[in-house]
Amino acid sequence: MSNYVLKYARGEEVKYISHLDFVRMFHRAVRRSGLEMAFSQGFNPHPLMTVALPLSVGVTSDGEYMKIAFAKNYKEEHIISELNGALPAGFKILNAKQVEGKELDLTKIDRADYIVTAELENERVPDIQAFLENETINVMKKSKSGVKEADVRPYIYKLKLEEEDGRLIMLSMQLAAGSSYNLKPDTVLDAMEKYCEGVKVMFKSIHRVSMLCGDREYL
Amino acid sequence: MPYTFCHKLMKEGFCKSKGKSMEITTRDKILMNVQKPTRYTGGELNEVKKDPNTVDIRFAFCFPDTYEIGMSHLGMKILYYLINRRKDTYCERVFAPWVDMEAEMKAHNMRLFALETGDEITNFDMVGFTLQYELSFSNVVNMLRLADIPLRSSERTDQHPFVCAGGPCAYNPEPIADVIDFFMLGEGEEIFDEVLDIYKQWKKDGKKIRKEFLEKIAELEGIYVPAFYDVSYNADGTIAEFKPNNPHAKPTVRKRIMKDFDTAYTPHSIIVPFGEVVHDRVMLEIFRGCIRGCRFCQAGYVYRPVRERKVDTLLGIAQDLLDCSGYDEMSLSSLSTSDYTQLKALTDGLLEMTEKKKIGLSLPSLRIDNFSLELMEKVQKVRKTGITFAPEAGTQRLRDVINKNITEENILKSTDLLFRGGWTGVKLYFMIGLPTETEEDIRGIADLAGKVLDTYFAIDKQERAKNINITVSTSGFVPKPFTAFQWEPQNTRDMLIEKQNLLKESITSRRIRYTWHDNKTSYLEGVFARGDRRLCDVLIKAVENGCKFDGWGEYFDFDTWMKTFEQTGVDPDFYNLRPREYDEILPWDHIDIGVTKKFFIRESEKARRAETTPNCREKCAGCGVGSFGAGVCYE
Repeated sequence: MSNYVLKYARGEEVKYISHLDFVRMFHRAVRRSGLEMAFSQGFNPHPLMTVALPLSVGVTSDGEYMKIAFAKNYKEEHIISELNGALPAGFKILNAKQVEGKELDLTKIDRADYIVTAELENERVPDIQAFLENETINVMKKSKSGVKEADVRPYIYKLKLEEEDGRLIMLSMQLAAGSSYNLKPDTVLDAMEKYCEGVKVMFKSIHRVSMLCGDREYL
Repeated sequence: MPYTFCHKLMKEGFCKSKGKSMEITTRDKILMNVQKPTRYTGGELNEVKKDPNTVDIRFAFCFPDTYEIGMSHLGMKILYYLINRRKDTYCERVFAPWVDMEAEMKAHNMRLFALETGDEITNFDMVGFTLQYELSFSNVVNMLRLADIPLRSSERTDQHPFVCAGGPCAYNPEPIADVIDFFMLGEGEEIFDEVLDIYKQWKKDGKKIRKEFLEKIAELEGIYVPAFYDVSYNADGTIAEFKPNNPHAKPTVRKRIMKDFDTAYTPHSIIVPFGEVVHDRVMLEIFRGCIRGCRFCQAGYVYRPVRERKVDTLLGIAQDLLDCSGYDEMSLSSLSTSDYTQLKALTDGLLEMTEKKKIGLSLPSLRIDNFSLELMEKVQKVRKTGITFAPEAGTQRLRDVINKNITEENILKSTDLLFRGGWTGVKLYFMIGLPTETEEDIRGIADLAGKVLDTYFAIDKQERAKNINITVSTSGFVPKPFTAFQWEPQNTRDMLIEKQNLLKESITSRRIRYTWHDNKTSYLEGVFARGDRRLCDVLIKAVENGCKFDGWGEYFDFDTWMKTFEQTGVDPDFYNLRPREYDEILPWDHIDIGVTKKFFIRESEKARRAETTPNCREKCAGCGVGSFGAGVCYE
C-alpha cells in the first residue's frame, strides 16, 4: 500500500456536486482508471481516501487536496494521467506526490485564498480599508456548538478589492481555514454588510484559489 | 430574449489580475436556490456531446418525472445511445423539473431545457416522451407547458416540434391522444431510425406540410397517428365506431419487436449521474418478456414473446458497462430472473468478473430455492434483512384465478429456508380487489402471513435468526388493457377500505405489520389505464388547475382531479368501475400487440373457473404472439 497527496481543481461544470457525491464519483473514477485502490480492513471495507476541507456546493477551486491510498506503487505522473483520463469534465488532477507518514500533513492546513465575486444591491463599493480598521468584527458565525456571534477580525489575513464594475465587485481574501479555525468567505461578506453602510450582497460566487500551511503551498 | 441554460456559453469577462471571470450568471442564481442542482446541470460521465450546429435533427428525450427516476430507467438509456449513434441527430435528455425548479424557471422567464446543451427544447425537431405509468401523464402536459409548446397536436404548426411518445402506457394511447402527434408502439430499437430518416428527408424538402410527414410515417409498422382516426360514441358512452379518416392510416397498428434480441442494439456505455438516483448501478437486461402469463399483468402480455440474450453476449455487455462507468454494483434486469434458462452459467461468469473487484451483484425477482439461496449468499453484500414475496392473493383459489403460479407450500418452504439462513424479515405483497374475490380470500392473506410466522417458530431457536419481522402489504388491483382482466370493474374506494379493515381485523399477531397503498392514486390510475379520448380534456384542464407529480404523495391532489372531472363533465367511474362486455369496442382495440382478443377472452373465462394456464415453456397457450416468428414460441 502506498499513500499519495493529490492536488486537484474543480471547475464550473462540477461545482454543484455535494461532498458525498464527489467521494462516490471519485471512487468510480479510480475504478475506471484501472488504478487499484487500497481498502480499509474490517467487515465493511471502504476505499482509503480523505478530502481536506470539503468544498461547499457552488464553489469552484484550483487548489483542492486529498490523501489517498493505492494498493500498489505507481509513478506520480501515471496517477495524474490515468485519473485525468477517467474523471468527468471539470475535474483535473494538478499534481500528485507519494508521501510517507506525516509528510505533507493536510490536517495542518491553516489558511485559504479565495476570489469572491459579489453582486451588490446598488453601486456602492465597500470601503475595505475602513472595514479592516475595525478592531473587532463581530458577526454571526456557525460553529460546532451552533450559530453565535464571534469576532472574526483576527482571522481575516488579507482582503482586497480587485475589480469593480457597476454593482459587481471582486474581492480576494485570505482567511483562516482548517480544523482549528475555519472562516468562510460568506461570513466575511455578512460582516461587510454589517460594518459597511449601504452594502448589501444579493448574490456571490466563490472560488478557492489555494489552501496553505502558513505561507507554504503543499504541492 | 430566451437564453441558454448553459455554463459553456457564459459571457467571458475575465479579471486581468486573477484570471477569473467576474460574472454572476442567472444560471448560478437559480441553481443555488434549488434542491439537488446536479439534476439540471448535465455534464455527467458518458454524456453524449455533439455540436448542435452539425446535426440535422435535434431530439429531446423527455422522461415525465424527476431526474432520479428517469435516470434509473433502462429504456431511456438504450434509446439515448441508440439515437445518438446517428451522426445526423443529437438526442438530449429532459426531465420534469421539481417544483422548486419550476418556480425558479417561471420567475426567470425560462423555458424547459435539455441537459446536454442547456438549450430550450421549444424549437427542437422532435420531443419524445416515454410513458411508463399513467400517473405521469400530467407531467407530460406540464412539461409541454413549460417548454411553451402548444398542448394539443391540432394547435401545433410548422414552427413547433413533433411530439411523440412510446412505452407501456402507449398501448392505450387514447387518454393522451390529443396531446401526442404520433406514438411509437413496441420496441423502439428499429422504428426510431425509420422515423428519423423520413423526418430528415421531410426537413430537407423544406418542412412544408406537417401532415405530409405524419402521413409518411403512418405507413410504417408501429406508428399510430391519433389525428388520422375518428371516434364516435353510443348513447351509453361506449364507443360506436373507431376508424381511420386518412388513407395513409392503418385500421390496426401492430407493435414492433426485435426478433433477434441477442444481436439487437444495446449500448455498451452508461451515463453515471453525480447525485444518487434510484437504480444507481449497471443494469443488465437478460431477456425481454415473461413466460408466466399472470392474468393481471400487462407487462407479461405486452412484452411477449420471451427472447433471451446469450450468456457470452451478456458477459461482454456487463464487462463494458462496468469498465466505462466504474460502478461497483450490477443488477440483472428482467421480469423474472429465475426464468432465464442459463442462469447458472451466467451467474458463474458474472461472479468471476465481480468478486475480485468487490462489485456487488443483485438478483431481483428470484424464486427462492436451494440454488438461489446459495447464489445470494455468494453474491449479495447486503445484510440479510428483508426479502419480498409476491403471492398477490391470499388463497390458492384466487391465485389460480390470477394464474400466479406460486403455492402456499412454495412460500412456506422458501421462508423456512430463509429463516434458517439467517434472514430476519419477510415482506408479503398482495393485491386486493381482484376479480371473484371474497371475504375468505382477504382472511386468507392474514392466514398465510400467520403460517409464515409459524414456520419461523417451528425452527429450533439455535437455527433461526433472533428477530422476526413480517410485513403484509396490499394495494388495490387496477385492471389494465391487454390483460385477461381488461373487462373487469375495479373495486370502489369504499370496497377497498372495507377489505383493508377486514384484513386489519384478521391479523391478530403483533409481529405482523400491515401497510397498504393509497387507494386514491389507484383510482385515478384505473381511470386513465382504460380511458378513451374524452379524458384528454380532463387531463389538460387538470394540469391547468395545478395537477402534476401525481405519483408523488405530497403533490397528488385528488380533490382537484375530482373537481376537474366535474368541470369537464366526464364521469370517471365510467372508465374504471364499470364491467364491460366482450363485444364492446375497447378504446385500444385498434392496437395490435400480437396477443389476440380471443386469447384474452379464453383467459378471462378460465379465470372465472379458477383454471390455470401453463407457462410458455411448459405448453403453448396459443396467445397469438407466435405470429412475430420469434423467441420462446420457436424454441
